[in-house]
Amino acid sequence: MRPLFSETSVAAVRLIVAVTFSVATIVIDSRFDALTMVRQAIKTALWPVEQIAYFPGQVSSELINWAQSHDLITERLEVIALENERLRTEQLKLQTLRAENAELRRLLGVKERVNERLLQAQIERLSNDPFVHRVTINRGLLAGVTEGRPVISADGLVGQVVVAYPHAADVLLMTDATHHLPVQVTRTRERAIAVGAGRMDRIELRNLPDTVDIVPGDLLETSGLGDRFQPGIPVAEVKEVIRAPGQPFALVIAAPLTPMARLSLVMVDLAEGES
Amino acid sequence: MIFLATWLVTILLIAFPYPIWMLLALPHFGFLFVTWWGLKRNYQLSMTLLLISSLPIDVLYGTSLGLHGLLFALIAYALTLLGPSVRQVNWIRQSMVIFVVLLIAAAVSYWARTLTGQSPEFSILVLQAAVSALLWSPLRWLYDTLADYAQGLRTQRQ
Repeated sequence: MRPLFSETSVAAVRLIVAVTFSVATIVIDSRFDALTMVRQAIKTALWPVEQIAYFPGQVSSELINWAQSHDLITERLEVIALENERLRTEQLKLQTLRAENAELRRLLGVKERVNERLLQAQIERLSNDPFVHRVTINRGLLAGVTEGRPVISADGLVGQVVVAYPHAADVLLMTDATHHLPVQVTRTRERAIAVGAGRMDRIELRNLPDTVDIVPGDLLETSGLGDRFQPGIPVAEVKEVIRAPGQPFALVIAAPLTPMARLSLVMVDLAEGES
Repeated sequence: MIFLATWLVTILLIAFPYPIWMLLALPHFGFLFVTWWGLKRNYQLSMTLLLISSLPIDVLYGTSLGLHGLLFALIAYALTLLGPSVRQVNWIRQSMVIFVVLLIAAAVSYWARTLTGQSPEFSILVLQAAVSALLWSPLRWLYDTLADYAQGLRTQRQ
């Protein structure tokens, strides 16, 4: 006689319970964003393990630096000194322009923009999942980094902080398929939403009117809508405008100005909105 | 003890910062961890422990919490059913069976990721399953060695 509850049926029941639990967790996390605390607790507990995992990479980079010849280092120092001189001159011009801009804004009665308070951070690792464009930086809650902070590089926008932990933070790159960013075309002030395409070298502006005035070579910058990013941060360069015959909408493909695949140092903008 | 040791090694393998050009050809170490437990020690495997151990893997990969729990449960169930026959064959045939199981997991992963707003490419998931299946033999050796070592430590204590 066959037993009423065989081992296979017990395993099947366990599977059903596990699948139900997992699907419920996925829905709660992705739709309601209610498990941030759990994520923070797990990441904090994993911190020592992650440091052990990073150790071989840190040692090898130290060894490479140590092994570099004296001549090469001297040459690099000369280049950096020249670059520093050029940037200092540029900064003098920038200070004059800032003062002029602030004066004009005051005369026009427009709110003055706060100066950026930038915090330098190093990228520790990129998510190993090819469909998740997320990086971990080495600054977290203890350094003042909180959720929603814009992250920029010397070339332009990188993304935003999505989860902050005590010693680190996860940054969602703007190329991630779940990232949406309000942008405007620098030349025409045309506004749109830039959506990540799931590729490091591409973002897209979808569902634009077919008559939209955007051409390859146009620059995109943050529009400031949504109060998350300050307006005017360079984002991407338009590469292609696809206007399919008979279709009401155009698709714009742009390449991020920041080379996402080669990022190592970034800045977290800690400015508190506009004053 | 053995579970903790193998899980920690898996976490270290996942957390290691690989260069970006390697990402497409990386195996899924989490899947290989579950495969080892499903094939070698399924009589000791607890579904609750598996679900809890999958959450840090979700955090490291940056995926929705629960995604790896779902996939781990499916892989463990399939390999528990297939275990007795798969254990008898050589490593090449084992890798082929594991590839098929991981392919099913890849399909479920594709579905779940699409529902959560990602835009995955199925071909990359297939490639990941193939690389994982190919690396089954060395990873099995690693986990076997770890398990023997952990077992030896436990016997010494007793």
